[in-house]
Amino acid sequence: MYRYIWLVPILPLLGATINGLLGRKFRFSEPLIGGIAVGSVALSFLISLAAVYSYGFGSNSVWPNAYVTSKDGNSFNWIPGGAVNINLGSEARQAVELDKERQKKLAAMTPEERARPQAFAIATFDFPRSALLNIEWSYQLDPLSSIFMLVVTGVGLCIFVFATGYMHGDNGFYRFFAYMGLFMFSMLLLVMGSNFVMMFVGWEGVGLCSYLLIGYYFDRQEAANASRKAFITNRIGDFGFALAIFGVIATFGTAQYTDVFAQAKDYPLELLGHWGILSWIALGLFVGACGKSAQLPLHVWLPDAMAGPTPVSALIHAATMVTAGLYMVTRTNVIFQHSQTMMLVVALVGAATALFAATIGITQNDIKKVLAYSTVSQLGFMFMACGVGAFAIGIFHVMTHAFFKALMFLGAGSVIHGMHHEQDMRRMGGLKKYMPYTYMTFLAGWLAICGIIPFSGFWSKDEILWSTASTTYIPLGWLVWLVGTIAATCTAFYMTRLMAMTFWGKEKFLEQPAGGEADEAHASAYDKGLASHDAHLESAGDRPRHEPGEHVGPVHEDITTHVTTHGRGGHPHGAHLPHESPPSMWIPLVVLAVLATIGGFVGISPAFTGGKHVGGRLNIVRYLDPIIWNPATRYFGSEEMFDSYGKRLIFERAELTLTTLPEGETQKLLAGPYKTEGFNLAHTIESKLGSETATEWLFIILSLLVAGIGIGLGLLFYVKDTRLPDIWAERLRPLYVASYHKYWVDEFYGWAITRRTMDAARAVYAFDSKVVDGAVNGVAWLTRGFSRVVGGIDKYFVDGLVNTIAAFIMRLMSPLLRAAQTGFTQNYALVMVLGLMIVVALFFAGDIAGDIAAALKNIFALFV
Amino acid sequence: MILTVFAFVVQEASGGVLSQMKESAKHPDLSKFLVIGAILFIIGVAGVLTRRNIIVIFMSIELILNAANLNFIAFSRYLQETGNVNALAGQIFAVFVIVVAAAEAAIGLGIVIALYRNKETIWVDEIDLLKW
Repeated sequence: MYRYIWLVPILPLLGATINGLLGRKFRFSEPLIGGIAVGSVALSFLISLAAVYSYGFGSNSVWPNAYVTSKDGNSFNWIPGGAVNINLGSEARQAVELDKERQKKLAAMTPEERARPQAFAIATFDFPRSALLNIEWSYQLDPLSSIFMLVVTGVGLCIFVFATGYMHGDNGFYRFFAYMGLFMFSMLLLVMGSNFVMMFVGWEGVGLCSYLLIGYYFDRQEAANASRKAFITNRIGDFGFALAIFGVIATFGTAQYTDVFAQAKDYPLELLGHWGILSWIALGLFVGACGKSAQLPLHVWLPDAMAGPTPVSALIHAATMVTAGLYMVTRTNVIFQHSQTMMLVVALVGAATALFAATIGITQNDIKKVLAYSTVSQLGFMFMACGVGAFAIGIFHVMTHAFFKALMFLGAGSVIHGMHHEQDMRRMGGLKKYMPYTYMTFLAGWLAICGIIPFSGFWSKDEILWSTASTTYIPLGWLVWLVGTIAATCTAFYMTRLMAMTFWGKEKFLEQPAGGEADEAHASAYDKGLASHDAHLESAGDRPRHEPGEHVGPVHEDITTHVTTHGRGGHPHGAHLPHESPPSMWIPLVVLAVLATIGGFVGISPAFTGGKHVGGRLNIVRYLDPIIWNPATRYFGSEEMFDSYGKRLIFERAELTLTTLPEGETQKLLAGPYKTEGFNLAHTIESKLGSETATEWLFIILSLLVAGIGIGLGLLFYVKDTRLPDIWAERLRPLYVASYHKYWVDEFYGWAITRRTMDAARAVYAFDSKVVDGAVNGVAWLTRGFSRVVGGIDKYFVDGLVNTIAAFIMRLMSPLLRAAQTGFTQNYALVMVLGLMIVVALFFAGDIAGDIAAALKNIFALFV
Repeated sequence: MILTVFAFVVQEASGGVLSQMKESAKHPDLSKFLVIGAILFIIGVAGVLTRRNIIVIFMSIELILNAANLNFIAFSRYLQETGNVNALAGQIFAVFVIVVAAAEAAIGLGIVIALYRNKETIWVDEIDLLKW
């Protein structure tokens, strides 16, 4: 079944094409558009499910090897053979060859010889300087891509179903689903491509779809600006990514993952402070990841991206697209792990982003903004995991985060829908009475993100924090752990705040009229006549349909009356009571809530199961293991896996390495190849406690404790004593203001980059309009003058001469030529015959003369 | 004079030039046909160039075509005797020429009628439309 994976990206593209090209022209009904979109994604989900099952768990499973469709000939040579110079990383290749030589020599020695200090002759190697680059279009199915395929199509399916309810009544229904389908296609391309270039195509495709969908309400200035901001910020990241791809090609001569990683795995490690070629490639890749996954300092676009419809926020800006950076870092973990510097950078950037975004999340009032900052923060956690070498855990968190964050975004969408396009949490409160399904499912998401056992978020977040504390990959693990723990506390706090302000406490939606912060942009657009007031629609997603003054008025206490009057248009629009969303919206919520609750068990912490990752391939850490490079053995897969699937697949050379080295060196190799002397939190505690399990339990308790503290503080501030937030905001005024204004990063960028760019543009424009245009105009003036002179000469001299000659010839020749043309057919025929005769005469002159002479002689002889 | 005639008759009776000519008329060789063809062709060309009546010009054209046909047939026969396998091609071609000639005559006479209706004449020296 895994042979059919090429269908998975094609189906959503097909749906998108049908909806996008035909939807408007033939005025497809909403059920038809929704059916096509949801159907295509559902089909692709089912195929993914079957493919992953047969790949990883079926009787003919090829796990742990990657399956690339070109193996079966299902590929085409997309960018065919160009010669590329391999001019990067020759020192590293030299080192690889030397190492091989050394291994060979060591293997040939007796144990006594090996024990002595060795001196190896330095050989120089001649490498091919160029390679033939063939980039094929083929899909790769391996543990990493299979997880992403399932998450993208599975969570995507829930969100598509939700969107059919949420976007009901929107004018651009077909357009929305066409973009969404196109996004699914690009995202699947990104995670399923078998080489860097295909990943880049998908990468740009999701960027484009993100742009299109953020700017879906393009008649709103705010949305149009946000979409451009997202696009431009991503370009910075893509620049780094593109450079890294060129670096990969110039170093390895290929872009195919399998070939690149097979070469890269033998490269020497680049320890802290050493900038070898792999470090530079990793830097470029990480810049790309920063852009796509909204890490510092390129995070600014993601919160603004909330101007798009809420299903978009859930699908693209929470569950899937923003995790593309994680996918890329994990996919290229060989390269990242070779560069200790970049591992440290990844971990520190992740930790900084996690804390930074979490602190901003505390003070935001727009429900979607809070979730957006929460997403940025959670992505920071994932990068933390990658930075400390726990790539599988990072992907585990991607998965659990996709469940609970998509759930919460859709929940927020449901709230916005039920509150009639109100996004400001200060005007909510007490919604659990009106929206029971949304409330119950949101509760699951809240507990999951806070990290309460046994919800999914707990397992992944706890593992991340444990990995940071116990990392042997980088120094400063304790710092990363500390920052992560504080960020986790903040997370629990602001999510509790969100719950309290939205679902619990006093019902404030009747007190305060709409038109506050969240609606300002809408209102001004309406005032300026930019946005039409489309209150006659039953629902139009996030579209603003109420201007500020409109909400004050009689309250529709009876929901049925409200619903019946809602569709008629033009009624005096008073404040509404919120109502529960339709089943098409809450059923996906329930599905995601179930996943957010139990989804974490695929990566159950080893501390709970006797220090081992149990469950075989069903355990996500074990399932992902074959793609994670192990710096100790220099092969893919960890030592723990060594027993489970044997040496045959992954450890052929590692075995040789281990047996041929002297005793001491083997130990050193297994102990970890990175120099990470210095304080290691987990190891210090372990040496005090004397047991690894006890240490792990300590950290589990600690992480539960900080979650509890966060929740407790949240409850204290926003449920128990609602005056406290204001009091503390006053007490910590500078911090509050800084967080409320998002640390003025946007303002800083505006001042430092946007304004400078505009100034530079203005200067260049001035230069262009004054100097360049002046020069051009001057040249034009000169040319004009010159051409006038030349024109005079031409007109009076050259033309005069030509005319004179022409007139002379005309007068001389025309009587002759005219006389030849009699118009009588026979004249022409005569000339023709004469011509023929001349030709014949010339051609046969000799023969004819001879013949005539002979004939004359014969005739003469006849009579004489 | 009588003597001369007598001598001629005696000469002929004993296989002279005339009997030779008679003999060769019974078994004509190629050159004779070619000569006849050439004469026909020249007559035709002369007719086309000199006659004023368009109908006669048409007839002259038929002469030219038939001169060509005669050549075809003659060569065909000649080749047959030499045992050439493609000998029949000349005869086939002659049939083609006849067909084309018939078609040409049909169209040509149509043109003549149209011309007469417009110009009230079939004398070619009164028609100098090609000048314009």
